[in-house]
Amino acid sequence: MASDRSFWRSPALRNLLVLLAAWEVIGQLKLVAGGALPPVSAILARFWLDRADYPGHAAATVWSSTLGFLIGNALAIMAGVLFVLFPRLQRLARGVNIAVFALPAIAIAPILVLTLQGIAPRVVLAALGVYFVTMTATVVGLSQYDSRSADVVRAYGGGDWLVMKLVRLRGAIPDILGGLRIAAPNAVLGAILAEFGGGGRWGLGTYLLGSLGRGDPARLWGIGLMATLIAGLSYAVFALISARVLGSTRSVTLNTALPPGDGDANAPLALKIALALGAAALPFILWWAFIRLSGVPEMIAKTPWGVVDYLFIADTSAVARAKLGAALMQTLPITALGMVAGLGFAFLLAISSRMMPGFIRAFMPIALVTQTMPLVALTPLLVLMLGRGISVTLWITISVTFFPAFVLLMQGLQRVPQSVLDLPRAYGASAWKELRMVSIPAALPYLFAATRLTVPRALLGVMIAEWLATGTGLGNLLNQSRGYLDYGMIWTVASVSVLLSVAFYYLVLMVERRTLTRLGMQVVE
Amino acid sequence: MALTIGRRGFLQTAALAGAALTLPRMARAATPFTMQAAWINDAEFSGYFLGMDKGYYAGEGLELTYLPGGPDVIPESSIIAGRADLTLTTPDTTIRAISEQGAKFKIIGTQYQKNPIGVVSLKKNPINAPADLVGKTIAVPPVNIVTIEALLALNGIDKAQVNIVPYAYDPTPLVKGEIDASLDFTTNVPFTIGQLGEEAHSFLLYDHGVTLYNDTVVVTEETLATKRKELVSWLRASRKAWAENLADPALYPPQWESTWFAGTGRSIENEVFFNTAQKPLIDTPDGIFSMSEEDIEKNIKALAAVGITGTRDMFDTTLLAEI
Repeated sequence: MASDRSFWRSPALRNLLVLLAAWEVIGQLKLVAGGALPPVSAILARFWLDRADYPGHAAATVWSSTLGFLIGNALAIMAGVLFVLFPRLQRLARGVNIAVFALPAIAIAPILVLTLQGIAPRVVLAALGVYFVTMTATVVGLSQYDSRSADVVRAYGGGDWLVMKLVRLRGAIPDILGGLRIAAPNAVLGAILAEFGGGGRWGLGTYLLGSLGRGDPARLWGIGLMATLIAGLSYAVFALISARVLGSTRSVTLNTALPPGDGDANAPLALKIALALGAAALPFILWWAFIRLSGVPEMIAKTPWGVVDYLFIADTSAVARAKLGAALMQTLPITALGMVAGLGFAFLLAISSRMMPGFIRAFMPIALVTQTMPLVALTPLLVLMLGRGISVTLWITISVTFFPAFVLLMQGLQRVPQSVLDLPRAYGASAWKELRMVSIPAALPYLFAATRLTVPRALLGVMIAEWLATGTGLGNLLNQSRGYLDYGMIWTVASVSVLLSVAFYYLVLMVERRTLTRLGMQVVE
Repeated sequence: MALTIGRRGFLQTAALAGAALTLPRMARAATPFTMQAAWINDAEFSGYFLGMDKGYYAGEGLELTYLPGGPDVIPESSIIAGRADLTLTTPDTTIRAISEQGAKFKIIGTQYQKNPIGVVSLKKNPINAPADLVGKTIAVPPVNIVTIEALLALNGIDKAQVNIVPYAYDPTPLVKGEIDASLDFTTNVPFTIGQLGEEAHSFLLYDHGVTLYNDTVVVTEETLATKRKELVSWLRASRKAWAENLADPALYPPQWESTWFAGTGRSIENEVFFNTAQKPLIDTPDGIFSMSEEDIEKNIKALAAVGITGTRDMFDTTLLAEI
């Protein structure tokens, strides 16, 4: 634990202060976007003036995001343990898991507001934001245990459950904490998004909506920083716990034994096919059940069949297909570009953090702000700086995609055992050579997992940019359809965006399987 | 009608039976009644806040629940799903839903005789009429795209000649000159523009052929049949409250600073400006909420320009007559 004195002298603090000072100067001189970026002092002054407004809104946001965080994570950890104990169950749930992960929040929020009431849309959106991250972290943690420790337990007569209890759960704790750390800001963002759209009186999202019309960027930044503060505190709590736990569980040496292979490789073909079909059908069954249970009339809540009918059978289906097709032609090319940009950015950051740790520590607060600052608050700044073309779309996409990928890549780099790192060092290799020859190849499974995280989120980034700035593609079609009271199109855009994200995910997974199998490495779930 | 009873029907019957049993004891208890507003709490809904505060709804035997709106809240959805008895919305969405999707809605009144939506620009770069929009950039909330299409169609302007971008309710891009105009409530955003040191310039779409109401009062046919008395009571209380609010538009908004307007993020001066500016758009000699035959005809005609087929029977003026 660093002492107080060393913190005050740390380069991280110095960098942060330099950054804040630069921000203040830029804001005072109105250097960015004709003053659309307010100086730090103006934000703080506004925050002080608005101090009476914040407690009610912050409390509402904390309440619904905490509820969503708890529900989502409880389900996620339970599901993770079950999936590791019963791999076939995981195969069956794969479609649901990936669909939950790939759900673009802005496409789902209107649907939740249509079908649920009160704070339910907020809680559900927060829970959806945390489920996949924590579930994945749990499965990764439970799968990547040191087989030598398990062998010891088995040699003394322990069974699967004892291995789970003594080796796997214990070894998984750092991963689960890492998951919770990323999940926490997701819960806050999900709740705020639902507050923004869903009607109601309290919550930072509602406050943001009411404040937009003031044309006062200092207020909007204040709300964003409040959201960041809430998310940052929850992140910090889990980061602190995980820093304390990590040291005691990392292997001291590298395990050279190959991990056990796919346990289901010898299963009968019929069973494999049945599981695959079940996995594909389950999300649709759950969707159908959700509509039936919510009791919302057919006209506004479409079942999977309702969407098929709207898109292929109804009298207006040709018009609907033409609209959807035109929107897709606008959205898909830029999404491909956004994927590359987001992943490239995350990779560069992760590499830099090994080469220049001080720089990254100073960058982390900014990175967290980009994750919790509602983009709608930044729209004027973004369009004034970047216009309404490709560059604004790419920057929004990068900001939406890079963070989870970055955290995962860092994890991969950090898990390389010390003894392996000592070898190139002993031979006098440069830091870059060490990275190239040891750390990056060793972290390859994490690089692929990061790609899988990034790729579907790119679609979300592009849709947000379309909604806020460019007025094209799927993001715009979704919003226009609300004005046309075109419920069929709202559900169609939501389901098509999920299906697309799932397709992107599988594309990466196929490449990943081939590459890692060739290299004798294990896929990170 | 089939002799089956749906789940909701059964629950309603059960609730009615229950109510009938307890009726003697609580004969004077108010009937629960829910209204869905079109947006978050601001001066647009002053009349209802006043009516609730002064007990005008309670005086009519209604226990009113007020639901604020938001960007993702489609007002019509609340009445379809049975979450509200009545909603404030726009005639274009309602009539499109009736004519194209067979929705069973009736428009029973209108808050705004003239839609407050207009084209807002800066005085130093004014847009005076729809023709001035050619070659310019206008920001439009995606949900209002129908409205701008109507304006362009009715004034013979090709949509391709105007650059339409999304509007995120923040006037900063307009003030900074990134866009030339925005489609917004002329009763509201000019205040902010003035605060930001610019002078706003605007015209109402209503004055350029888009002769539409706004915040039309819409109910389902089922509610109209089963709660007619409550609907008339709501109209009567709301009319009384609105008249009182508009008598001095600067009087009430400051009183709601710590109640209805608490934490909305908007300023009271803005609400007073809004309340004052909307007065001529709501007031009518026939009584607030009324719909004249001539105006209904105008609405139908304007909607026809964008291919929305409205008919007279989508409007029901008989409840207004009962007030």
